[in-house]
Amino acid sequence: MNSLDPRVARLPQVGEVKPKKSLDQFGTFEVFVQAKEGKPFQHEGAIHAPNLEMAYLLAKETFTRRFTCVSVYVADTRNVLVSQTTEGNQSAYELISKEDEGDDQGAFEIYHLPKRGKQHVHAGTVEANSSRDAMYRAKDLFALGKIIYNIWVIEQDKIRFTSAEEKDLWNTLPEKKFRDASDYKGGDKLKEFLSRSQLPDTGNR
Amino acid sequence: MNQDALKELLYKIADDLLILGHRNSEWTGFGPLLEEDIAFSSMAQDKIGQSYAVYQMLTELGEQSPDTVAFTRNANQFHNCQLVELPNGEYDFSLIRHFLFDTADALRWEMLAQSSYEPLSLLAKKIKGELRYHTMHANTWIKQLGSATEESISRLQNSLTAAMPYALGIFEESHFEKGIITEGVFAGEQELKKRWVSKIENIITQTQLLLPDLKIVAPVFGGRIGKHSEHLQPLLDEMSEVFKIDPTAEW
Repeated sequence: MNSLDPRVARLPQVGEVKPKKSLDQFGTFEVFVQAKEGKPFQHEGAIHAPNLEMAYLLAKETFTRRFTCVSVYVADTRNVLVSQTTEGNQSAYELISKEDEGDDQGAFEIYHLPKRGKQHVHAGTVEANSSRDAMYRAKDLFALGKIIYNIWVIEQDKIRFTSAEEKDLWNTLPEKKFRDASDYKGGDKLKEFLSRSQLPDTGNR
Repeated sequence: MNQDALKELLYKIADDLLILGHRNSEWTGFGPLLEEDIAFSSMAQDKIGQSYAVYQMLTELGEQSPDTVAFTRNANQFHNCQLVELPNGEYDFSLIRHFLFDTADALRWEMLAQSSYEPLSLLAKKIKGELRYHTMHANTWIKQLGSATEESISRLQNSLTAAMPYALGIFEESHFEKGIITEGVFAGEQELKKRWVSKIENIITQTQLLLPDLKIVAPVFGGRIGKHSEHLQPLLDEMSEVFKIDPTAEW
């Protein structure tokens, strides 16, 4: 392989690359970030990982390496109960009916999509018998008078939270502007380069 | 406080971080998973940021600017241990080196948090969060792959065995060792090594890997006094290529 990057020239020669078997991929995990103490956690995206702990590890850098935040947690996508999505004046809660009551008690985290195209935001925690039961109970607790377009429920025990002692993960050296694209002032450099090369800047290059 | 002793300590800390930061940055774009590529690159940046902070202390003590020190010295003027300059090899070796070095590095800074030299103890507190992530990252991967498949276990085992003589080279003592300890600047390489062995053992015993018998592994020393493998100079040439063409270049 020809490249100006010396690292590419150093890559070991690999033989024929065979495609992986279909579905031979890591599963996904949902990542939630808390921007500030007291603010609700917000869904930021998904991560591929072999298990919950690895997902936490990789989520931390993928989603919080540049921006200030105070906490992160992750949950296996398969443990997220998702409601139907609604539009207009219809709330997703209107489509949920009461579940049969069971014996298993637990805490469940509830997330709301308050606006189409936005991210899910943590609405609160309910004690319930199941994720479905939690979704039913959440309506009166968190959604009175509001239109919610989609609801997620995750059992608290299935979440990998940031522990109190791990909170200093985000206590880092501040002098790392080089991580931000804005620090490279690409536009300024391009202008300077164009003026130095004395090419007329026609604006439609 | 003995200035030469202090400078030697700072140089070896900063050089380890700069060289390993550069090595690890060579994985950027080639990591085994997108998420891991980002994490490993971030940690490489952390290391370079930390080395910069220590080079700034050296500037305060009368040494040349961080860029000059980083980009204009030859291999025999660097004080890093040889472990950090070895080529990346495959990912198993890079992970094992990351585990062995970063465990020692985090413990070193934990000890430096008590340093009588205030700039060091202050910096130790500032970077505690970064170091927590680095060791969490290393431990999680080693526990994951150290108990996963036959291939992952044997790859890590081979790399662990190959890296161990170099890892012991981290703890090469300086001839200022006694002074550094009695003045309370740093509790010393022997103390660091003792803590390191116990941490390493703790993680390795949670996997199917075997720790080599450290009593019969001969450490590779020399890095701290400027004796390096043939791999360091090419790394320095590549790292300083732009600086040598134009020292005022910004990029």
